[in-house]
Amino acid sequence: MEAIRNALDFSDFPRIDRMVALAVVLLLVTFPLFPHSAFAMATMIQFLMFSLYGMGWNTIGGYGGQVDLGKAQYVGIGAYTTTVCLLRWDIPFWVSMPLGACLSIGWSFIIGYPLFQLKGHYFAIATIATSLVLKDIFEVWKFVGAARGLGILPFKYQTPDFLRLIFKEDVYYYYTIFGLFIIGLLYMNWFRKSRLGFQLRSIKDNEEVARSLGINVHWAKIKTYAIATAFVSVVGSFHAVYVKNIEPEDTMSLDISILIALMAMLGGAGSLWGPIIGAGVLIPLKSYLKEWLGAAAGLVGIDLILYGLIIMIISAFEPRGLWGIVEKIRRRKRI
Amino acid sequence: MDILLGSIASGILLGMVLSLVALGLTVIFGLMDIVNFAHGEFLMIGMYTGLLTAQATGLDPLLTLPLAAGIGFLLGVLCYGGFVKYLLRGPMIAQLLGTFGLMLVLRNIALLFFGSEDRALHHGLLVGKSFDVGMGIIISATKLAVAVLAVLSFVGVWLLMNRTKLGKALTATALNRQGARYMGIPTERMNALAWGIGGATVTIAGALIVNFWSVNPYVGLIFTMIAFTVVALGGFGSVPGAFFAGLVVGFIMEIPGFWDFFAITFNISWMDAVPMTSFKYTWIYVSYFVIMLISPRGLFGWKQ
Amino acid sequence: MALLEVHNLVKAFGGLKANDDVSFTVDQGELLGLIGPNGAGKTTLFNCIAGMFPPTSGRIVFAGEDVTALGAPEMARRGLARTFQVYVAAGDLNVLENVMVGCFMHTRSQSKARALAEGILDDIGLRDLKLNLVSELPVAAQKRVTMATALATSPRLLLLDEVAAGLNPSEIEDIMAGIRHIHADLGITVMLIEHVMELVMNVSQRVIVLDYGKKIAEGPPRDVARNPVVIKAYLGERYVRERKVSSDGDRHEHHGRADS
Repeated sequence: MEAIRNALDFSDFPRIDRMVALAVVLLLVTFPLFPHSAFAMATMIQFLMFSLYGMGWNTIGGYGGQVDLGKAQYVGIGAYTTTVCLLRWDIPFWVSMPLGACLSIGWSFIIGYPLFQLKGHYFAIATIATSLVLKDIFEVWKFVGAARGLGILPFKYQTPDFLRLIFKEDVYYYYTIFGLFIIGLLYMNWFRKSRLGFQLRSIKDNEEVARSLGINVHWAKIKTYAIATAFVSVVGSFHAVYVKNIEPEDTMSLDISILIALMAMLGGAGSLWGPIIGAGVLIPLKSYLKEWLGAAAGLVGIDLILYGLIIMIISAFEPRGLWGIVEKIRRRKRI
Repeated sequence: MDILLGSIASGILLGMVLSLVALGLTVIFGLMDIVNFAHGEFLMIGMYTGLLTAQATGLDPLLTLPLAAGIGFLLGVLCYGGFVKYLLRGPMIAQLLGTFGLMLVLRNIALLFFGSEDRALHHGLLVGKSFDVGMGIIISATKLAVAVLAVLSFVGVWLLMNRTKLGKALTATALNRQGARYMGIPTERMNALAWGIGGATVTIAGALIVNFWSVNPYVGLIFTMIAFTVVALGGFGSVPGAFFAGLVVGFIMEIPGFWDFFAITFNISWMDAVPMTSFKYTWIYVSYFVIMLISPRGLFGWKQ
Repeated sequence: MALLEVHNLVKAFGGLKANDDVSFTVDQGELLGLIGPNGAGKTTLFNCIAGMFPPTSGRIVFAGEDVTALGAPEMARRGLARTFQVYVAAGDLNVLENVMVGCFMHTRSQSKARALAEGILDDIGLRDLKLNLVSELPVAAQKRVTMATALATSPRLLLLDEVAAGLNPSEIEDIMAGIRHIHADLGITVMLIEHVMELVMNVSQRVIVLDYGKKIAEGPPRDVARNPVVIKAYLGERYVRERKVSSDGDRHEHHGRADS
């Protein structure tokens, strides 16, 4: 009971935060009612997906301070589980999604145990390595379509198919991911106030002190890693039915892992709003830059150059992200 | 048998180049505990420098090394002074993502200018030539020349760091930054120098590698991972460690060759079925992970 | 009754023995001081007892059970809390949240942890600072936060590592009152490392002296201070002289720091 109350309780945020959050949620609910292009809709769905990815990363990376650059492997596990289940055994999304999450969590325990014996840079590089190993395996594994991946043929299904989550209109996908987004947000609101959340922040602060306060540091990290994994895997499953065509390169590459970390990092790692702000700024920027500069002006890759420059500027001059700027201003006002 | 010997020879030669690839990373890490994700992109730039100058001037690609070194040095110093200096003040996560941003920028600038297609050298003094050293081993002349030049560059840097006053100042800064500052060593300039050396060595390696490896804007990542593995194995910050670890990683890259040898010699059919060449790089990732777990300070680690 | 027994404890780092055959006991309800020159192995001893790392040899018995092999989290759960000499709180936890981390050892409920933490903050006198970041606070307040956080695990034995270092005389008075309060009113057994002699000699019931990893003396503060071995090894002529002067005049005038 207390957990639910905590999840719904945003009262420790200033009034203005709550008003803005409410306005954003209302805007998101009503967005499909306004006239919009298919491109805008796709961008909004991407925004919600990456907010969720970022929230997942924020547990271990933001609150726990463990720079995990291997989240893409769980996008892959989730996406492949859902696709394979659908194509081979016609298992609906709502069964394959939790199944994928369970597989991801299982895998995260197996590699998490040795992984968290490493610290700092060594840990970060090792997460990349594990993710790339899995990608290499998927690229030759015939059962999952090897390097060419798997495709869901939408015309084989009658739409709208709410069980398998196969739709013709994007608006259904939009509301599905919006529902997951709200659940994710409430979960994160609970998480940051939970015992594990506090323990993680203590670990980020100082591991020795955390140990002396009765926290099993290794186990707390592994547990949180599993939570982050579940988030990413669920969105990966959604990615599979939404995009309908998955291959190792666009689900498990390092770029995806970095993008996931970047959402939280740009918005403000270790804060509730961080990943949402990060995704809200980065995803539209990325989509529209690509559309205008890449496709329209024929300058391939210029969107990624700007993207890289933003990353460089943020990390050199405001490592606490956009939310860090807001908090700095607030702190200055209070003092 | 010739497959085995060929793989061993090839592993050694490749390993010598990989040592040079990793050298810059380990020098930089030893000095300022920062991991440069854009390391492979520096190498990619070296590859393009070698390829394009050779094609434009008609010179042999091996003669482009000084130019590549100059460009690499400038690039390294610029990156340090204009960017990395500010990163060092921030937390580790900012450093990791910051150099990743640098990697994105460099990679996509290359994409913008050179396009995404694979390019390879088709002419040159040594390209395509090889000689038989007996026992059925055929060594490509390029690889041999490249390996020799790589070792020479490596020794050059080693001498610079151990036999000159400048190099000793650099080593002193790596061992104890505070102490070095009290002794009047300009540590800021040492950092910039480390980035210069790091940039120069890796672009030289790039200009060498392009003699037998085709280049595209995405080639950097795999070399970054290789360099990380070499540095992890050799011990973060250790220069001699990087040399021996490079040889080991050269062998790891030849695992598909050894695999074929066993499959053919002992006629093991299931081994034939495994597409080992697809896992060429996988072994690198696996070995990084295993090395870090067994010996977090590497085999030659000297710095806590 | 002995709450903590340390038997022949040795901790070696490579060839260097930081603790060499140290044995002592801490009785239930005692307030024990641990002194010794810099590098005598005091903090290493604390780390071994608290399970931060295992001793090379020897045995540690806590509340009647052999705890030699246990790690820090297990020790904390059995009722041993400690503070840290250098506490770098760079994170984004505020004072209240810091203390709550300790409270979470006994409860999963956020509201219970919060109530508990606020009670402790009231008790320690940090109520007004509860929403400040620890890194923003002056040193004296930071020290009290670390004590409050340790207390939040409701320990039976509290190890205090130089809680008075870097404080001014009136702040030392406050800390001293705090330690007495924890010991007398909360009934917690306390063992403290301290360089501020004023504090150790005043609050401790018994003092143990380490030098080069070995225990060289043990007894009531007054006896230890007069012990020629201790004076030679640690206190030095200067302290003895000053002590004579100060016991003649106003005691509060000086805070002889033997290591300075």
